[in-house]
Amino acid sequence: MSTSTIAAIGTALSNSGISIIRISGEDSLKIINKIFKTKATLSPNSIVFGKIYDKDKLLDTVLVSYFKAPRSYTGEDICEINCHGGTQITKETLELVLENGAVLAEPGEFSKRAFLNGKMDLSQAEAVINLINAKTKTEARVFSNQLDGNISKKIKKLREDLIYLLAHIEVSVDYPEYDYEEVVPEHVIDLLNNKIDEITNIIDTYEQGRIIQNGINVAIVGKPNVGKSSLLNKLANYEKAIVTDIPGTTRDIVEERVNIGDVVLNISDTAGIRDTEDIVEKIGVEKSLKKLEEVDLVIYMFSALDEIDEKDLKLLSRIENKGLKYIVLINKMDKVEKSIFDTFMKQLEQNDIKNVIPVSVINDEGIEKLKNKIQEIFNKNDLDYEHELIVTNARHKDLLKKSVEFLNQALQEIKNNNPIDIVSIYIKDASKYLGEIIGADVSVDVVNKIFEKFCLGK
Amino acid sequence: MEDKKDYSLGNYDVIVIGAGHAGCEAALASARLGKKTACFVINLDTLANMPCNPSIGGTSKGHLVREVDALGGEIGKNADKTFIQSKMLNKSKGPAVHSLRVQSDRRMYHIEMKNTMENQENLDVYQAEIVEILKEGNKVIGVKTKIGATFYSKAIVVATGTYLKGKVIIGDVSYESGPDGVFPANDLSQSFLDIGVELRRFKTGTPARININTMDLSKTEEQKGDEKIVPFSFENEDNEEIKHKKQVSCYLTYTNEKTHKIITDNLDKSPIYSGKITGIGPRYCPSIEDKVVRFSDKPRHQIFIEPLGEKTSEMYIQGMSSSLPEEVQIQMYRSVPGLENSKMMRPAYAIEYDCIDSTNLKLSLEYKGIDGLYFAGQVNGSSGYEEAAAQGIIAGINASRKIDNLPPIILDRSQAYIGVLIDDLVTKGTNEPYRMMTSRAEYRLMLRQDNADIRLTPIGHDIGLISDERYEKFLHKKQLIDDEVKRIKDTIIKPTDFVNEHLESLGSSKIISGVKLSDLLKRSELNYENLAKIDTNRKKLPDAVIEEAEIEIKYEGYIKLQLEQIEEFKKLENKKLTTDIDYEQIKGLSLEARQKLNKQKPLSVGQASRISGVSPADISVLMIFLNQRGM
Repeated sequence: MSTSTIAAIGTALSNSGISIIRISGEDSLKIINKIFKTKATLSPNSIVFGKIYDKDKLLDTVLVSYFKAPRSYTGEDICEINCHGGTQITKETLELVLENGAVLAEPGEFSKRAFLNGKMDLSQAEAVINLINAKTKTEARVFSNQLDGNISKKIKKLREDLIYLLAHIEVSVDYPEYDYEEVVPEHVIDLLNNKIDEITNIIDTYEQGRIIQNGINVAIVGKPNVGKSSLLNKLANYEKAIVTDIPGTTRDIVEERVNIGDVVLNISDTAGIRDTEDIVEKIGVEKSLKKLEEVDLVIYMFSALDEIDEKDLKLLSRIENKGLKYIVLINKMDKVEKSIFDTFMKQLEQNDIKNVIPVSVINDEGIEKLKNKIQEIFNKNDLDYEHELIVTNARHKDLLKKSVEFLNQALQEIKNNNPIDIVSIYIKDASKYLGEIIGADVSVDVVNKIFEKFCLGK
Repeated sequence: MEDKKDYSLGNYDVIVIGAGHAGCEAALASARLGKKTACFVINLDTLANMPCNPSIGGTSKGHLVREVDALGGEIGKNADKTFIQSKMLNKSKGPAVHSLRVQSDRRMYHIEMKNTMENQENLDVYQAEIVEILKEGNKVIGVKTKIGATFYSKAIVVATGTYLKGKVIIGDVSYESGPDGVFPANDLSQSFLDIGVELRRFKTGTPARININTMDLSKTEEQKGDEKIVPFSFENEDNEEIKHKKQVSCYLTYTNEKTHKIITDNLDKSPIYSGKITGIGPRYCPSIEDKVVRFSDKPRHQIFIEPLGEKTSEMYIQGMSSSLPEEVQIQMYRSVPGLENSKMMRPAYAIEYDCIDSTNLKLSLEYKGIDGLYFAGQVNGSSGYEEAAAQGIIAGINASRKIDNLPPIILDRSQAYIGVLIDDLVTKGTNEPYRMMTSRAEYRLMLRQDNADIRLTPIGHDIGLISDERYEKFLHKKQLIDDEVKRIKDTIIKPTDFVNEHLESLGSSKIISGVKLSDLLKRSELNYENLAKIDTNRKKLPDAVIEEAEIEIKYEGYIKLQLEQIEEFKKLENKKLTTDIDYEQIKGLSLEARQKLNKQKPLSVGQASRISGVSPADISVLMIFLNQRGM
């Protein structure tokens, strides 16, 4: 196993009050001692106040905590620097740590080390397996959130109902001579329909959950000089939260990560769009449309000084028809006569283009509207983070889908008047898949339920 | 006592301790495989006794009987010889859960089994209490009887049932006793502890026996046997005598509020509630006091009255086992309609006994770390005659194979209920007397009672318990089934008026073009029998062949699904683990998983995944470990 000392920013990069830089490995303390000056003594399991210096330059006043191996998250020596939030300071502090001997952590590497050192608790272990396989930092973060209490609770409840039904079926099968009322097909059909709806609803949150976890992937599209870069800077400065990720901390190249209220925008070139400037010109409508399908939101930007040409309209109509989410910005509205501007609007309206917002990026006009529009489109304000169940994990989604498949099959069988124990084969499979999400064994649960709920025996 | 001289009474290949339902199967299997076998029983008159309900089979238990029979065991044949009522349960449900159950004549069952044992070549049956297991190094070499005789052997099968330090409890009275008033085995427990066998204590119970002449059966519902009798043993498939046997009835009655009041008023006298009984009792076999307390909202409980035999007036009162004081029992039984003036012949009692922790066994039923020592039946923490017989035959086979240096016979969960039973006991372990249930089997559509011979008779033949003659007969039956399935699939039914009229009369929809007979058979309202009129080319075939062919076609889709599931299951089963892996060294496994895996040393990842305390996450870790090792 690698013995290098690793470091990374342990908190989400945002303009929160405090950021934490975590260092793990045998050189942790050595590195800290090189850059951290304090009047107190940094002893194991303590947290002390002091200052971070880059050579002679004071970077920040911080709190540093120290956990000695093996009694730490990773099972190695860990130091954590609690510095003031704001991305610039955090970034510089991390760079300093790296300069002094630490290696930038791979996605999920802290958890991986914790796991390999036997520090992970059982319920986390499954998430960790995924973590290790996670390809991106964002994905890693999703996985580490996957055993979220809400999901387990909801799935448990769903599964509980199915297992109760199974137990009822099993009782009539295993104790045929007893006078328990037989399972009524109509009840089973109702229950199955119910569960199918519930699970389908959960599956539907997947897209939303992904957006919340990973941010909204945005492409800003438009001809040269319509103001795309200015918009980007404006958005970034708007909340003073522009984040240029340190190269290598993430493997998918998020070029800009922008917080707008509670929404994170990933203005990325994964779709290869921002670089192409005028994608319509370069690659043609069909191909660019395909590219655009890969993002969550297209910001289509015009300058009021330009004209709308055929290709713009064609691409916009196709975006509209495909049901892609988009916002049209008409920049430089302050630079043109009202009549020209009106023509512009009318032309878009005639082509059924919605979500048009006139802006002047330079003068900060319309940016608030844009922000509101994004939140509106992504239904952001409707989501109750604390209580709503949101599936963020692709594996969970797949298992949920499989369970719905089997429940539908069970429904079909029962409608075809097949014997109830044949139907139960499918219900059992559905609960098995639900069980796989939370890590439980169906048959044991069914048996336990039988004895808990039914009074039987000689 | 100090003058007592030890003396040897002979050398055997296999010694079986106990002659209950496990012991008999073990002894017969071993003897039939050519091993010189001795079977010891405390009292010969209790050989193959039924100290609890006088019946064989029932859901999943009937499956076990069929499987033991398909392997070449005796329980099915003995049940066929001695039944006085036969019923196929769950007929309205799917084929996976059809289950055969018979009422047996308890004395005749004993007499027939004893007769079979006595006449079995290579088998000596001997009345003696075994008090000591003799061991050399970590290998067993024989046993010693209470009188001082030594018998030597290469392997031992322990099938002591509920006899080990048996203690009967009735109200606040308790005394040392085996079941049915037979004396217990008090000394052997210590010998087990001395050789390193861990013991625990379980509890079970049985209801009263009541004289039928003191009952008013007009107040009960009569329950008759099936008109069409299906025998247990595949050997008896066309035995007309069995199919036309005269049957006796059972009777159904109910407890009521008065019964429940008597029980709750006297709960303080129940040894379970007063803390006198400490052994762990089975949930599926609760005493009536348990039922009344735990399910207080139920106004009545069913009571089945079952005959103990044709030449006795004793009736078994199923559903009312109890350990309340005798005088309370009398009041309680007399509160039930039909039993108002009844006279008890044997009171209900609870019994506590020593048994082993079955997770200390290998899947072959050999005790880990003690060479040649096998355990089968209730001493393993199971309950039921059928569960005992199933373990008995496997222990007998494997003890014999050990002597021949052959690998043990291990049936997996996709092959047989026997596999499920033994895997559950050995891998998962049990905290209460274990009862077989169809819901414990993951692949029950494949593990049907009707196809037990197809699943297991070839294995029985390979082992050497199925004669060539029976095997030939089996192959012939299988050929008939395959031919009939093919014929049904190849037969096209044309949409004639006659056909459509017939279909409509059966509530089925008309056909417009020619359809395969197999597709019609798949319709839920149609079956082999009611399609006879339009299937004019069919030959006269044995019932068992028709049943099999019909199920194979009718449930083809589900069977396919189940086969896919079995494929999936086999993937993990086929990932073998060696017993030299030190799980303490695998970082990332939970502490509990490390301990459990090190204790159990599972043979495959599949088996590991079924150990309680080993989570799916641990299994992932284990797989990573195996990958790293290139396994």
